Amino acid sequence: MISELLTRIRFLIFRKRRSELDEEIAFHLERAITTRIAAGMDPAEARRQALIEFGGIEPTREQCERQRPGWWIGTVRQDVHYAFRGFGRNPLFTISVLITLALGIGATTAVFSVVDRILFRPLPYAEPSQIVSIGFVHPLERQEFVMGRFYVEWQKDQTPFSALAAQSTGVHNCDLVENDPMQLSCVAFQANFLPLLGISPLIGRNFLPEEDRPHGPPVVMISYGLWKGHYNRAPHILNRMINVDGNPVRVVGVLPKDFQFPTLEAADIVTPFALDPAVQQTVNGGFGYPERVFARLKPGVSVVQAYAQMQPLFNDDVKWFPPSAKSETRLSIRTLRDRETRDARPVAWVLFGFVLAVLLIACANVAGLMMARGAGRQRELAVRSAIGASRGRLIRQALTEALVLSFAGGLAGLAIAQVLVKVFVRLAPTGIPFISEAHLDLRIAVFTALVSCICGVIFGFATALQKPRMAALNAKAAMSRNHAFLRRSLVTAQIAISIVLLSGAALLLRSFTKIEDQNLGMQTGGVLTVKVALPWWRYNTNQKVMDFYLRFESSLRRLPGTRAVGMTDSIPPGGWQDDFRFSDLRVQGKSPFPPGTGGTVAGRSVTPDYFNALNIPIIRGRNFSDQDRTGDEREVILSRLLTERLFPGEEPIGKRFLPGAHVSGSGAIVVGVADNVKNSGLTEQSDPEMYTLRRSVSGDWSGNHLIVIVDSAMPAAAIEPWVRSEVSSIDRTIPVEMEPLKLALNRLADRPHFETTLLGFFALTGLVLAVVGLYGLIAFMTTQRTHEIGVRMALGATRGNILRLIANDGLRMLLVGLAVGLGIALAVSRMLKSLLFQVSVYDPLTYILVPLLLALVALVAIFIPARAGMRVEPAATLRAE
Amino acid sequence: MPQSTDLLQGTLDLLILQTLTLEPMHGWGVAQRIQQLSEDVLQIGQGSLYPALYRLEYKGWIRSEWQITENNRRAKYYRLTQTGKKQLAAELATWDRLSSAIASVLGGAAEASS
Repeated sequence: MISELLTRIRFLIFRKRRSELDEEIAFHLERAITTRIAAGMDPAEARRQALIEFGGIEPTREQCERQRPGWWIGTVRQDVHYAFRGFGRNPLFTISVLITLALGIGATTAVFSVVDRILFRPLPYAEPSQIVSIGFVHPLERQEFVMGRFYVEWQKDQTPFSALAAQSTGVHNCDLVENDPMQLSCVAFQANFLPLLGISPLIGRNFLPEEDRPHGPPVVMISYGLWKGHYNRAPHILNRMINVDGNPVRVVGVLPKDFQFPTLEAADIVTPFALDPAVQQTVNGGFGYPERVFARLKPGVSVVQAYAQMQPLFNDDVKWFPPSAKSETRLSIRTLRDRETRDARPVAWVLFGFVLAVLLIACANVAGLMMARGAGRQRELAVRSAIGASRGRLIRQALTEALVLSFAGGLAGLAIAQVLVKVFVRLAPTGIPFISEAHLDLRIAVFTALVSCICGVIFGFATALQKPRMAALNAKAAMSRNHAFLRRSLVTAQIAISIVLLSGAALLLRSFTKIEDQNLGMQTGGVLTVKVALPWWRYNTNQKVMDFYLRFESSLRRLPGTRAVGMTDSIPPGGWQDDFRFSDLRVQGKSPFPPGTGGTVAGRSVTPDYFNALNIPIIRGRNFSDQDRTGDEREVILSRLLTERLFPGEEPIGKRFLPGAHVSGSGAIVVGVADNVKNSGLTEQSDPEMYTLRRSVSGDWSGNHLIVIVDSAMPAAAIEPWVRSEVSSIDRTIPVEMEPLKLALNRLADRPHFETTLLGFFALTGLVLAVVGLYGLIAFMTTQRTHEIGVRMALGATRGNILRLIANDGLRMLLVGLAVGLGIALAVSRMLKSLLFQVSVYDPLTYILVPLLLALVALVAIFIPARAGMRVEPAATLRAE
Repeated sequence: MPQSTDLLQGTLDLLILQTLTLEPMHGWGVAQRIQQLSEDVLQIGQGSLYPALYRLEYKGWIRSEWQITENNRRAKYYRLTQTGKKQLAAELATWDRLSSAIASVLGGAAEASS
């Protein structure tokens, strides 16, 4: 055994010399001849017979060579070498294949990296598919929440879950008070929150049950980011006392580096939730505070089953609700993945589809190019086959070439993907989950390798299947239009796919311009928004908050160039605003509206300058005045839409609201009507709106939303430092956030902008690839028919005839491609519906312009090679025979 | 020319090994010997003889060396190695089993047809 192995290795390294075999064969022939001569044969005849008997000497040599172990390794090297020589001879072909492949593979990989987290990758928790978000939802709050009172009952009575855990709704600002106060974000969760997710702290421990009780020992866990950034990863952070919002607390643990809150919020400090059932029964009208609740399904229980089991509990709870909330509130249970990625998923799928389409075009293109090259090489292949290359060897050669190309293309593609991912991450607006974490990883590299191999094998076989014909040795027959149908179908398919891509991108572009061009109803140029984060533990009364802002307001008014300084709790058109139910409004002299009707009304609490700063016209009555701010009467201004709904055909000025939604105390009087402002995001229908005057009375300054808007004649960059110094002259330690309103608005359009840019990029890539394919095929067919053209011209065909002859072929592919593509586009465009704004999925303009554009480009791609065909000199081609 | 029989795959290897048990021999000699012993029934195409010799050598069953023939001519002689001998014994046993099996099947067929 071992000696056999050794022999094999010896021969693997030391080849037998060829001359040895030659000498051996010569000896053999010599003996054969002498034997025959000895038998009395004529020497010449003896030699002839001996040679005949021996058969082919060269095949024998070849056969002997093939016995050598590892012989095939040499042929692979040969094949690769041969492939490279072939590429070198045909650089145009090689470059176009490489570019096509690199673009296709690069784009696919990059987009896969981005959508992978959103669509496919499991969330970073133990058994993530069992984790659900549960709670109530209603039109004003679409993320599940549970009121504390009901949560306490659910914990006792629920059956479908193995655990329930609550966290506070949203993070809040908190101060880390050390030498320099630092503003952080804090959140609270229950002691069983981390175990439910299957996460343990990086160092230290989770909260103990006794710490998660009212008046328990004050402890916190900190995020990895805070530990690293502020404490330099010092291990003795554990058990250290730190001061949060003026209270000393003990650090018991550090959260893992890649820990992610199920709400996708970022928090630096976590405190125990310390749920107090007794308190929850009394506060907030006996409902308790709202909280976010996550649960783990028992094994084998589905979301639907859990929903059915929770329904009776929910029905009991609803009885307590006020009538207006009863009809609108629903129970909701959905998987965590659903909660985290719901908004991003349609885009992700569309993106994924687009990129697969581009990859298809790329593959078809490469296959087409390879096949065209194969057809051009028939003669060469026939020659190789004639001098003894087996069919298997030729197929292997073709596959080697394809694999070498796809490997090189894959490498280039990875490089492109790396760049593209960076670009995507930079372009991406906030709010697309996980995108900042997108990066090329091993899985994705494997995916690329797989894609490129499949590409290679597919088009490799396409070429290899072209059997070399002996007829191809004959120069005339070399023009045989082998597989022409397959190649034409490939080009037609490419045109069809690019129609689909282009019309999708065009629809999005139309939608995007509509979003950009719409009238917001207010002016945003020259307006600066200022947000001041007052630490609540120092500004713990409404009076202190009001005093701060009134001082701030008057100091801003003194700045040079200031035209108006307004204060409000929110700014349209996006983000938080104080929405309330239309049916909760009470108008003096009118019967109450039926509960649950009329939808949502946007409420805003503003100072008089709000309307001046944003230039929102008062179309009836008057604006709030500075005297109103100190008066006893409460004034409101209604939007035109709300006026039309509440007082159709009546005089709204002087009408009174009774205490109800958004109006407290003794009611309020309507003093004016403002024009409509876009207030439910850029892409939604606007809601009616009600402005209440924010008076200089401490009761009007509750709530933690406050934005100061400054309309100034000076550029934002000039006044920003002034504003900053005004704040610090009142309170040195308060952080300030400033942004021109224009920028904030642009950010709202970021997401449609991102989607449009991305899809537009892919549509154009697809178009370029398809046109390259079309051009390549027509050009190739023209060169193949040069001889035929020469003959036709010699027989009297005009140049026009020739042009028609060649162009007809291309036009037929173009027309079929257009028709098929339009059909598919119309069928699949419905998938874009959720992404479109004020554009029908059957937008006629799109479906007229896109085919026109493509036809135009395609015609150029057809006529350039056709013109070359037209210029053929008949004499030259005929002489070339 | 006498009618020749195509050799079964692998049989040629067996014949070569068997031929070389007597003495080291060159390629021509092996071909002649097989032809003689089979009384011209088995004719070895040189196209397959040399590849077979090379294959056996690569496997380490035979070994070659250049020697001077009785006519004072340089020729390549093949000799059986130890591994080759073992392999031959194994293959002979297999061959016996196979041929007796075939014989008994064919014998049964002959009886049935008679």
